[in-house]
Amino acid sequence: MVLGMTRARRAGLAALTLGLAAAAVLHGRLAAPPVFDGIVVPPEPYRWESPPPNLRAGNKPPLSGEATLPVLNGQVAGGGVQTSDNQVVIYFGPGTFKAPAGTQTVKCTIAPDPNPPSASTGVEIRGNVYRIGCVAQPGGAPVTLASSYHLTLRFPPGAFKEIQYNDGSGWRTLPTLQSSGGDPYAGVNAPGFGEYAATAPTGAAASGASIFALLGRYLEFWGILAFVIFFGAIAVIQELRRRRHRAPARPRKRG
Amino acid sequence: MIQVGLAAPRRALGLTGLVLGAALLRALLLPLGDLPSTLVFGGCLLAIAWFDRGLSPAEARWGRGRALVVGLLVGAVLLAPLTAGSLSTRGLDGFWTWAALAALIATLEEIAIRGALFRHWRDEAGPVAAIVAGAAVFALIHLPRYGWGAMPLDAAVGLALGGLRALTGRVLPCAVAHTIADWGAWFWA
Repeated sequence: MVLGMTRARRAGLAALTLGLAAAAVLHGRLAAPPVFDGIVVPPEPYRWESPPPNLRAGNKPPLSGEATLPVLNGQVAGGGVQTSDNQVVIYFGPGTFKAPAGTQTVKCTIAPDPNPPSASTGVEIRGNVYRIGCVAQPGGAPVTLASSYHLTLRFPPGAFKEIQYNDGSGWRTLPTLQSSGGDPYAGVNAPGFGEYAATAPTGAAASGASIFALLGRYLEFWGILAFVIFFGAIAVIQELRRRRHRAPARPRKRG
Repeated sequence: MIQVGLAAPRRALGLTGLVLGAALLRALLLPLGDLPSTLVFGGCLLAIAWFDRGLSPAEARWGRGRALVVGLLVGAVLLAPLTAGSLSTRGLDGFWTWAALAALIATLEEIAIRGALFRHWRDEAGPVAAIVAGAAVFALIHLPRYGWGAMPLDAAVGLALGGLRALTGRVLPCAVAHTIADWGAWFWA
């Protein structure tokens, strides 16, 4: 018991101590986002393998990713691999990959390609080209695909149309699903191992980059923000006035 | 007095439902984008706080300066585990707009949960119920965005902020601590 404190304050002090201790422990154990108000933190700047001249100064090189997956009865259990900068993520279900007999594990890698094959005529590669591959271990024998796996690829700001795939025989387009809400990610059902890249028609402008679209976007944001701030300010002023009216008159000093 | 304590906290439950309803509405609007759904959520919290504003004359409160200092300290403690991670490469270009919005939503959440909701639960069921209910609501309203994995952390932070509210008698330090913890996500998440 803390002397001189009301029950509410004692409960408050206990809850504050317990909550802070629990939060400190959970921060370390959970891979949970540290924002408590539900606002998405914008992603870090895109990491370029070969940055445009104006982005060269602050650019950080893209990171690769790898995972070693167990093999059970000749099949790789489901799982996922992603690059350390989260620019590429792949997911697959059980049985998607088939490993040769005697395989104990399968090693999958995703790596940015510093010397990718050229894009087809009329197509521009947007951002990095990533090479995705899986090999059986021990031995390094190739792993075959029984079905497609899911690939999510981040693309840099600017134009984007679709993800293309190159298995060594040339680039081909894949049916691409772009994330909603303006997130710079797109996904495909990847048909094989090889190289993947975000692409756009040569010279294409970013979708919605017209002056009216930009104006609309800014008006929406600032308009709603101004609305909330305006009415918030009115609420605060009214509250202060109400409190002032409610405050009991101080007794006058005599004499 | 005993009758009040044992009666069903109807008003508190109603208000809890409204706050959770606002979070549900936000979850339903998420396909429209993060910003519109967040601002609608903020508008709902503002409306709840506005229509349910009130004072508890009997409640003892800390002075503003002291409460502010405690809020800053609690925010720093919440932020501390994050600083062990690597710094993000985000510049300050987009920070100010994001930070203003984060502070606004954090403050509105605190006004609704640690303000109106806390007051009703405390008056109808006692301070412990007010702290626990606030922590539960805080964890639940973040469920659609972060999933079940984040619930324990959000509940723990909600418990700490509820405790801060009960200790100081003010919403101000809760809003300050919440905002500071949010801002850290820009630099370390």
